[in-house]
Amino acid sequence: MYVRLFAATWLLFCAGLAVLAWGFQAPFAYDPVGPRAYPLLLLTLMAAGSLWLLVKPGLREQKLDSSSALRSVLCMLTLLAYALLFESLGFIISTALGTFALGLLFTGRLLPCAISGVLMGVLLYGLFDYLLDVPLPLGLFEAFVES
Amino acid sequence: METLNFLMQGFEVATRPENLMVALFGAFVGTIVGLLPGLGPINGVALLLPLAFALGLPPETALILLAAVYLGCEYGGRISAILLNVPGDAAAVMTTLDGYPLARQGKAGIALSLSAVSSFIGSMIATCGVVLFAPLLAKWAVAFGPAEYFVLMIFAIACLGGMVGDKPVKTLMAALIGLALATVGVDSTTGVYRFTFGSVSLSDGIQFIIVVIGFFSVSEVLLMLEKTHSGQKAVKTSGRLLFNFKEFCFTFWTMVRSAVAGFVIGVLPGAGATIASAMTYMSEKRMAGSSGKFGEGDLRGLAAPEAANNASACGSLIPMLTLGVPGSGTTAVMIGALTLYNITPGPLLFEQQPDVVWGLIASLFIGNVILLVMNIPLVGLFARMLSVPNWILVPAITAISMVGVYAVHSTTFDLVLMIGLGVFGYILRKLEFPLSALILGFVLGELMEDNLRRALSISAGDLNILWSSPISLCLWALTALMLGMPALRWWRARRTAQVANA
Repeated sequence: MYVRLFAATWLLFCAGLAVLAWGFQAPFAYDPVGPRAYPLLLLTLMAAGSLWLLVKPGLREQKLDSSSALRSVLCMLTLLAYALLFESLGFIISTALGTFALGLLFTGRLLPCAISGVLMGVLLYGLFDYLLDVPLPLGLFEAFVES
Repeated sequence: METLNFLMQGFEVATRPENLMVALFGAFVGTIVGLLPGLGPINGVALLLPLAFALGLPPETALILLAAVYLGCEYGGRISAILLNVPGDAAAVMTTLDGYPLARQGKAGIALSLSAVSSFIGSMIATCGVVLFAPLLAKWAVAFGPAEYFVLMIFAIACLGGMVGDKPVKTLMAALIGLALATVGVDSTTGVYRFTFGSVSLSDGIQFIIVVIGFFSVSEVLLMLEKTHSGQKAVKTSGRLLFNFKEFCFTFWTMVRSAVAGFVIGVLPGAGATIASAMTYMSEKRMAGSSGKFGEGDLRGLAAPEAANNASACGSLIPMLTLGVPGSGTTAVMIGALTLYNITPGPLLFEQQPDVVWGLIASLFIGNVILLVMNIPLVGLFARMLSVPNWILVPAITAISMVGVYAVHSTTFDLVLMIGLGVFGYILRKLEFPLSALILGFVLGELMEDNLRRALSISAGDLNILWSSPISLCLWALTALMLGMPALRWWRARRTAQVANA
């Protein structure tokens, strides 16, 4: 069932992309193939594969129960929020919050998760920014550093 | 004899105290970077390149540092592959197939020590190969034109379809999705923007790091969530931390075969560690036949890709040094490093800069010994990592993944894209699409299109060039064989079922 659903969605997606890809045209022909043929070839093959899966989706099916689906969605939202706040809040705060929330989702207890979150934010910042020279955003702390 | 003299000269360079220190430091940092999920050799080399330049290291020392990091990552990548089922880099994808099941069976210590020795043997054989063949192979690799490369890549993808036996269509679909993801961005030949949806961040394509971290780290986080819920826990390591002599003998010839194959594949420009580990894993699986437990924790399935990816990492230095063509993403960064020092890699490098070339080759031998000595006693420490609880481990993986992706371009867009790809990867994994095929497709995507278009430019659009040379004809035949394999298996299974019914 899910495989069929995926295959149907993917087929529509391929069709949409193919319409888009049809418009890829170079103002001047640099090579005999051009930018359009290769993506279209891939989309055609993918569409063929999707059709095959629509007809023969295979036997095994995994069941989704609602509680684990809810946890998955919560986890995805946490990750998304972490990614979106990464720059504006800065690495230390967003990591402390993100790792705290993820720790709770992974059945950690409240206090240890909070401690590990704060520690991770500070220690990883030190490791990457100072030792490995990967520039990380300071976010809210930027005002302190400037002044 | 001349080669031997040069090699002695190289050892003289590589054993200078500062170069030994640099190799030790590089090997250590490389292992850690390779160990961290999401951070691979490309990150390691790219991170240390500015450092090498800032410290004012001479070119041979800088190259020794980068090569040590590269080798160290190949050693370290296997650790996260075995313990977390998260490949440190694309080449370690194959290591997860048997390494992770072994760890789940409580044999993490054996898997780690055996894979360290596989890596060592792979690197050593390949480094000897570099010494022997570097001048000769420069000529051989030239025989591969763009048409032959294109067919070789098709063959690599077909191999995957034949390998993941029970679901060839899903495997090929996954590879196609990977190939399609690689077309995003500006077309290098004509400058046309493809599938960028008007976004500036997508205009130079989706970065490899984002794809790897998204599809493997983020989707793994989501998958691990389900496992905590159903109460499953990673099996603790117990018993031996070192393999025994019998296990070594059992895998020895696998290592040697895979090392030689990995070396040859690594030498081909463009065909790197990923293809090497995939192809050797597949051929070992074929050779073992029904007696093997591949995919469920076969030691040979662990030794083959490990020996092969280290061998190809060393082998890929040959095209870099002799032709100036990178054999892998990491050597591409290293070519960038050489040009910073105003050294142009190419056939003349061996004559003009023998100190650089032979110092580097000699340092490979030394770096390998350092890495083996460092890795075997530390195996216990690595194996203990499994006892870290999930509520610390998973947030840590996530935070490090974020850093790894953020380090590429420093944009929020990349982070969101990573999460999006991770969710997509999670859905694909739930539907049993093999993601290793997707990554292979993504790695090959741009090369494949480039070579196809270059080939057709040579022939002015005539498709015959794709099957005109004996090499490409041979590769086409092998491709057909691989694609026919699942159909043949299906047909035979049906026939035996009919016979049984009658």
